[in-house]
Amino acid sequence: MADTVNDLEALHGAAVEAISAASTLEQLQEVRVAYLGAKGKITGLLKQLGKLPKEERPEAGQRINKVKAAVEIQLNERRDVLEIEASKPKNPSDFSLPGRRLATGSVHPLTQVTEDIVRSFRRLGFAVAAGPEIEDDYHCFDALNTPADHPARDTQDTFYLGTKDRQLLRTHTSSVQIRAMKDQEPPVRIVVPGRVYRRDSADATHNPTFNQIEGLYVDRGVTVGDLKGTVEFVFRELLGKEVKLRFRPHYFSYTEPSLEIDFSSPLTRKMGKEWLEIAGCGMVHPKVFENVGYDPEVWSGWAFGFGIERIAMIRYGINDIRLFYENDMRFLNQF
Amino acid sequence: MKITYNWLKQYVDFDGSPEELGDHLTMLGLEVESLERMGGAYEGVVVAEVLTRDPHPDADRLSVCRVNDGEGERQIVCGATNFKAGDKVPLILPGAQLPTSDSAKPFVIKVGKIRGIESHGMMCSGKELGASDDADGLMILGADATVGQPFAAHLGMDEIDYVYDLEITPNRPDWNSVIGIAREISALTGSPLRLPETPIKEASESVASQVQVRIEDPDLCGRYSARLIRGVTVGPSPAWLKSSLEKIGIRSINNVVDITNYVMMETGQPLHAFDYHLLARSGDEAATIIVRPAREKETFVTLDEAEHELPAGAVMIADDSKAIALGGIMGGLNSEIGDTTSDVLLESAHFSPQSIRATSKKLDLRTDASYRFERCADIGIAEWASKRAASLILELAGGELQQGVVDEYPNPEEPRELTLRYAKTNELIGIEIPGNEQRGMLERLELRLLDSSESEGRFAVPSFRVDLKREVDLIEEVVRLYGIDKIPSTPPRGAIGTHEYDAVHDDLAMIRRLLSGMGLAEIQGQTLISDKAVGIPDGADIVPLEHPLSSDMNILRPSLLPGLVTVLQHNANRGTHDVAAFEIGTVFGLKDGQPVENRRLGIAMTGSRAPGFWRGEDEALDLYDLKGRLEQLLEGIGVRGIQWRAAAEPEALFVEEGQFGLGKQVIGRFGQVQPVSASKLDLKRPVFLAELDLDLLLKRRTSARSFKALPQFPAIRRDVAMLVDESVSYDDVIRTVKKAKANFLQSVSIFDVFRGKGIPEGKKSVAYAFVYRDRERTLKDDEVTAAHTKVVERLKQDTAAEIR
Repeated sequence: MADTVNDLEALHGAAVEAISAASTLEQLQEVRVAYLGAKGKITGLLKQLGKLPKEERPEAGQRINKVKAAVEIQLNERRDVLEIEASKPKNPSDFSLPGRRLATGSVHPLTQVTEDIVRSFRRLGFAVAAGPEIEDDYHCFDALNTPADHPARDTQDTFYLGTKDRQLLRTHTSSVQIRAMKDQEPPVRIVVPGRVYRRDSADATHNPTFNQIEGLYVDRGVTVGDLKGTVEFVFRELLGKEVKLRFRPHYFSYTEPSLEIDFSSPLTRKMGKEWLEIAGCGMVHPKVFENVGYDPEVWSGWAFGFGIERIAMIRYGINDIRLFYENDMRFLNQF
Repeated sequence: MKITYNWLKQYVDFDGSPEELGDHLTMLGLEVESLERMGGAYEGVVVAEVLTRDPHPDADRLSVCRVNDGEGERQIVCGATNFKAGDKVPLILPGAQLPTSDSAKPFVIKVGKIRGIESHGMMCSGKELGASDDADGLMILGADATVGQPFAAHLGMDEIDYVYDLEITPNRPDWNSVIGIAREISALTGSPLRLPETPIKEASESVASQVQVRIEDPDLCGRYSARLIRGVTVGPSPAWLKSSLEKIGIRSINNVVDITNYVMMETGQPLHAFDYHLLARSGDEAATIIVRPAREKETFVTLDEAEHELPAGAVMIADDSKAIALGGIMGGLNSEIGDTTSDVLLESAHFSPQSIRATSKKLDLRTDASYRFERCADIGIAEWASKRAASLILELAGGELQQGVVDEYPNPEEPRELTLRYAKTNELIGIEIPGNEQRGMLERLELRLLDSSESEGRFAVPSFRVDLKREVDLIEEVVRLYGIDKIPSTPPRGAIGTHEYDAVHDDLAMIRRLLSGMGLAEIQGQTLISDKAVGIPDGADIVPLEHPLSSDMNILRPSLLPGLVTVLQHNANRGTHDVAAFEIGTVFGLKDGQPVENRRLGIAMTGSRAPGFWRGEDEALDLYDLKGRLEQLLEGIGVRGIQWRAAAEPEALFVEEGQFGLGKQVIGRFGQVQPVSASKLDLKRPVFLAELDLDLLLKRRTSARSFKALPQFPAIRRDVAMLVDESVSYDDVIRTVKKAKANFLQSVSIFDVFRGKGIPEGKKSVAYAFVYRDRERTLKDDEVTAAHTKVVERLKQDTAAEIR
């Protein structure tokens, strides 16, 4: 027995060797059983302690237990290594294979452009307003100072309904100006996006349905300078800081003075033009104020409006307006 | 409207370049649509005379010529054969470019040797010069051509000019004339406006004894003046007149007609010349011009040889026996000026814009005259324009002007008077323009100052400014002349806006965000669709159009679904079979005969549940993919308590249709499109559609959210699998569970529905998970068992469930 105990170092050495030689978890388990199992070599030594003289037992016990603890640690360390080894996949993943995707939705480009414009106006304190698409002559034309025999009112240009009151599809969002001003006391500060209709056959630049947006601001002491300042703010936000704007006199029945707005940017120069017409605007005509019951001596205001499709076409380089209304997924997915 | 730089400069001096003038015009409100340079071609090309022509010693097909270029002789080697000594030809001198047109890439003519012989220039064909299409040999000029004269001068094209194409806004009829535009330049620059002299020498016999004018309805014709020139010689116009008209696109006809056109472009006043001898007269009596409304069913042949049936309200010019002109639009074939005309009756009149517009439109006959009258010509200038034309006729066609003028002008208009408060201008534009500057601008625009003070001025408006009606119109004039670009921008300021729609706009944006997050693409469909489109419900109250563009677009959409189906079909036809899309838009219906609008959300889905993947999983979408998105949307926008059920009577569009709503109010419908109809549209996989009434839905949403503390104690789950009859719905089970009123029951969810092997016909196996939890403590097993037993017993009793 003394010999066996004396051989403890050799036994430990053999265990360490067996542990490092084990290359699988199963082999390691065999080593564990061989040394620490019920019939294991180290367990066996402990069982034989009783055969030793009483005075030798404590020391021998300590020595055996020390070896046992060391072997246990070494077994566990080896197990950790082998477990990590065993968890490696048999066939490594191909990291170049395409991933599993979800369908992605999108927001229509016209909506995106509208939202961008609305956001700029809202930063300035404008509320978003809307009105009916089916209108009457009064809100669409008369109240806006459009003469009774103006060509825009012709059945060639405007869709009239086959209803008994012969309503029409609004030809511009300006009809909402009238409704908003009739509904609320000044000051008024609204931005109106919406669908409008003209009796044009669909081609690359026309669709009978299209979208406009316009702003209206009525307050005391509103000036042409205010109009220019706001227009410049909105278009710089929309088309970039480097955009140049030009205002030139024009004619609309519901504003006086009336102006058209041209812009110039690297985009227009790419299109081969220094100036590109983009919007109309002006100071609200006193006749319009009278029609809605505002006193033009007290209130002044400006309005400006433009087509959403045109902005979207310029911004994205789209050359056919019909693409917006065909809704081809290959088109929509690009925005 | 086209005008030229040189023509304009006859009336007003202008120092800047043609481009600068164009910028000025644009900034005055006369947008320049194009600016084109004319003339000045053929630089370095002269008329030369061939003196000798000898064969080239070393080339059979070439000849060596000596030519006179007007300054001396030079030697030219030439390949053409169609000429002889003595011919006059165009010659390009060395250093000049060929061709001279802008389009092609030019090359420079140099002195060089051709087969050993020096050539000092090149004689040209018409084609080489771009002057004609003739490429066969040299262009041989007439014997009268002047040797040494620039070729352009020989062609009468030496004058350089610029043609502006201007967009004239309908409020400014006075701009439809060269003088009107010159007046603007004059007002802008302060350089005086020069009107042409109108020298006339009148004969002793008075026009009144030879022409009488009777206006039957002064509302149709407010003024009619007539002059008579006898003994004219009708012939071609001189070059200056011809080229003035041709440059702006008017064909030259003869001197008399050209003068009427010239004066019309100059003054904006349309004129007409009649052959006096073609008017009915008896003996030496005066001819009578009658201006009258067209008679019912009256027909008339205009000078373009077209016969028209005249609409009511048309203005006719007639003599005692017949109509001779369609007033304000076009003259008659029966009284046209011809080569043999000797006596010319010159009309200068003013017709009602409404009448001319209506007639011109009904007859689809638009002329330079009708264009001007329908925009309202200047009634004040009619007589002066007639005098100007008479003066030119005497100068260019000879003859004797009969003494005086017949000028019927029953109700001469008093000039309009307007007052401008100078402070009002400043208030509106936001800067100070002194009153005397404002007054000066208006006076330069020929407004006559009637009364003046420090603070305001009263002005008489000239007859050509029909657009100036109230004070703000004068403010606009000041803004234009001051320069809109000089008014500084002020940064945005002022009130906070309000509108009831503002919140709706955000709700719609949220719906878009939720749906696009669930993989749906927003579309925008047409509002106008066909009444034959798929999915228009039978008996729907459709809003018709009075004059549709086509049968494809003859109604206002009563639903978003037909448009969505069109989008699916459009994409399928282009090879895109997996589509999930939505639209937010207005639909239209009739209520008591009146059109009504309704804002809706439409959804369409077809194809695969998920994008293709290399593991080959490809499941088609089913009804519950759509319903799941609807549920998530409704939860997302804060609508609770929605009930779902099968529609009592599915519409023909659907093979199966469900409805959902709150209480009795139906908010939307959804279902699978009848596969037979879908496959006719090339939609091979199941198609699912839904449509929701957003006006109703948004009223029922709540944006209120309140936080519930997270549970602190564990839950206990019990599963139940049971056999029930096919007729027992999910809703039946949930209702029954609720009736059991089990303690601690926190949630119930279904996790399996199975039919098939081992399940009897008419039955299904369903499995539910029940979760029990208390907020205050951990539940004991026997408490849960007691509660759960209550649920199971209730299910057995009420749904005849057989627990498995």
